[in-house]
Amino acid sequence: MKRKAMSIVLAASLCAGMMAGNSVVCSAAADEEVTLIVLAGQSTTDAGIEDMIDEALAEQYPNITLEWECVDWGNDFQPKMQQYLQSGLPDIMIGKAQDVATYAPQGVLGEIDATYLDRGLDAARENVTVDGKTYGMVYNALYQGVYYNKTMFKDNGWEVPKTLDELQAIIDDCKAKDITPFASHMVDTWSIGNVTMQFCMNDVFNKTPDWGDQFRDGKVSFSDSEDMQNAYNYNKLIFDNTYGDTFSTEQTDCDAKMVLGEAAMKVSGSWSIQNFLDIDENFDFGIFPFPNQTGDSKLIFEPNITVMTSAETEHQDAVNAFLDVLTGNKELAVEILDYTKTASMLKDVTPTFDNPSQEDIDKYAADNMIVDVTLGNNQLVWGGFQEENAKDIAAWLQGQETFEECLKASDGRVDASSAN
Amino acid sequence: MKRQKTSGMEKKLVRQYLILVLPGMIIFTIGLIVPLFLSFRYSLTSWDGMSSEKIFIGLENYVKLFKDSEFRDAWWFTIKFTIGNTIIQNVLALLFAVALDSGIRAQKLYRTAFFVPCLISAVVVGFIWLKMFSNVLPALNDFLGTNFNFLLFGKAETVLGGLLIANNWQWVGYWMLIYLAGLQSVPSELYEAAKVDGANAIHRFFNVTIPMLAPAITICVVGITTGSLKVYDLLVASTKGGPGRASTSVIYKTYTTAINGRQYGYGSAMTVTLVLALLLVAVIQVKGLRKKEVQA
Repeated sequence: MKRKAMSIVLAASLCAGMMAGNSVVCSAAADEEVTLIVLAGQSTTDAGIEDMIDEALAEQYPNITLEWECVDWGNDFQPKMQQYLQSGLPDIMIGKAQDVATYAPQGVLGEIDATYLDRGLDAARENVTVDGKTYGMVYNALYQGVYYNKTMFKDNGWEVPKTLDELQAIIDDCKAKDITPFASHMVDTWSIGNVTMQFCMNDVFNKTPDWGDQFRDGKVSFSDSEDMQNAYNYNKLIFDNTYGDTFSTEQTDCDAKMVLGEAAMKVSGSWSIQNFLDIDENFDFGIFPFPNQTGDSKLIFEPNITVMTSAETEHQDAVNAFLDVLTGNKELAVEILDYTKTASMLKDVTPTFDNPSQEDIDKYAADNMIVDVTLGNNQLVWGGFQEENAKDIAAWLQGQETFEECLKASDGRVDASSAN
Repeated sequence: MKRQKTSGMEKKLVRQYLILVLPGMIIFTIGLIVPLFLSFRYSLTSWDGMSSEKIFIGLENYVKLFKDSEFRDAWWFTIKFTIGNTIIQNVLALLFAVALDSGIRAQKLYRTAFFVPCLISAVVVGFIWLKMFSNVLPALNDFLGTNFNFLLFGKAETVLGGLLIANNWQWVGYWMLIYLAGLQSVPSELYEAAKVDGANAIHRFFNVTIPMLAPAITICVVGITTGSLKVYDLLVASTKGGPGRASTSVIYKTYTTAINGRQYGYGSAMTVTLVLALLLVAVIQVKGLRKKEVQA
């Protein structure tokens, strides 16, 4: 009996010792120096936020260091991901919401803990959730539509157009007054691809949300779809009513022309705000959705910075600490939002920068006239499809291809239209 | 007995050579030969570059290649770019070299000025000329009150011309130095003898200088041709293959197809055809030009 009691005591003390040891290991792990690899696919507005995150992380978790690899999202994020898919993903990847649909089905992304997801807006979750599991933490959002010079609109008595006829009336008046209706920078093919998706959202996907699936099933095509052709044709409307040197004009120059009053409107997104306000902090501008055939177009909303994590990371605690800083540090969030001039996707976080177009955004939001572009980007992916179509649109605008050839080229690319 | 000793010595030497060559061979094999074979293997699959599945589809990618008008256009652009570069760069480099070899003043200054652009990365060169054509030169138009079309990158018809200017600006100085070195190694007695024979400057150039420069011409022609066939970084930084696809080279097309377009197998087939074309061009040029060297 004595021996039995002794063995129980010994076993208990052994267990206790092990538990104590474990807790020591755990606390040691928390203090252990960890370096996380971060692949950041950045938009033009995002470059520089890595320093802000580094600083905030160093304050809260000094044992964690981030090793950043910042690349241009449009050109280099997918190639880098493709490379890492062969050699092992970085601990953290920062891309866009649409990337989740591309990489989550490969089984390489880690599920984001609800603790951090709950700090974000619910609206952001739907398009980063695959089979009931959320693989992306959406941090901020961009709005896309037609930016307009408020002063110019007021001086000329123009109202925000809701229909294409109203838009055409403004274009005609601009021309009569020797004002360039649209600022554009078609030298950047991404810009053509971006505005085309804006047009598609309001003329195609708002009516037929599964247009991409139907396209792959052979039920619809670019050559036969009047809606899709309308969307493509709006590019011609812009091209015919913009500067002659649009294929030689870069974004910064284009935004400068807009601010200097050389054009009345610009189909763009929040990424232009940074330039607008850098050039003239008093520039007064608004935003409206590019009108569609039915006069019910919605303002486009794009979840932008989206954090994804590797399913195979060896430093999950450190990764969670990173997510904790990003979602829990409101001061950092405001700093990033003010810098990028973007909207918050975190609860109770509002940027403090003066955004003249916010009034318009609030109005469309109140009228439920905002639509998430991730739907379109998931239906017809950017890499290999939208960006290639944009090249054909450019060739068509330059007279190198006919409109029919341009549509046919998009049809021929059907295999590349889906990420999976 | 003596023979045996010699052959033992030879074996030892061969072994030493092999040991010396081995590190290079290993690096070359791992870095070039193995990827080349892997690329051929992938070209027979429909692999997307992401999934673990690499489905074998035989020669389907190669059949598709011949029907792909975008790939044909990319080749056509690359060929025009290569021919333009080979002619312009060789002619200009040779002329500049002859001019510098003629004993003009401030020769070193000119040599340095011509050579500096080739020290800059092609990406930077792309940005420089993008800005030149879009901002700097049009501003010059405004300043001078002229109306020259400097927006060469903005139109499909003029983009090739713009790229040739950018590429030649960068590389003429480099090839010029090779020609200059060749010129300086031509014995002056040959010119003197030609002069005595009554040859004028033009005759001396075509009958003495050019034949004596044959080895340098081989180096320059092969170097410029293969370099132009592989053009990529200049395009990325300047035109991004546009407007439309007007300046899309074979490498650019291969990259966007394989990586952005997630068609790794198809992109690999493009790579294989490019490697074969490069080999063919290099072999033809080296053989043809070497013959001339022997005659010289």
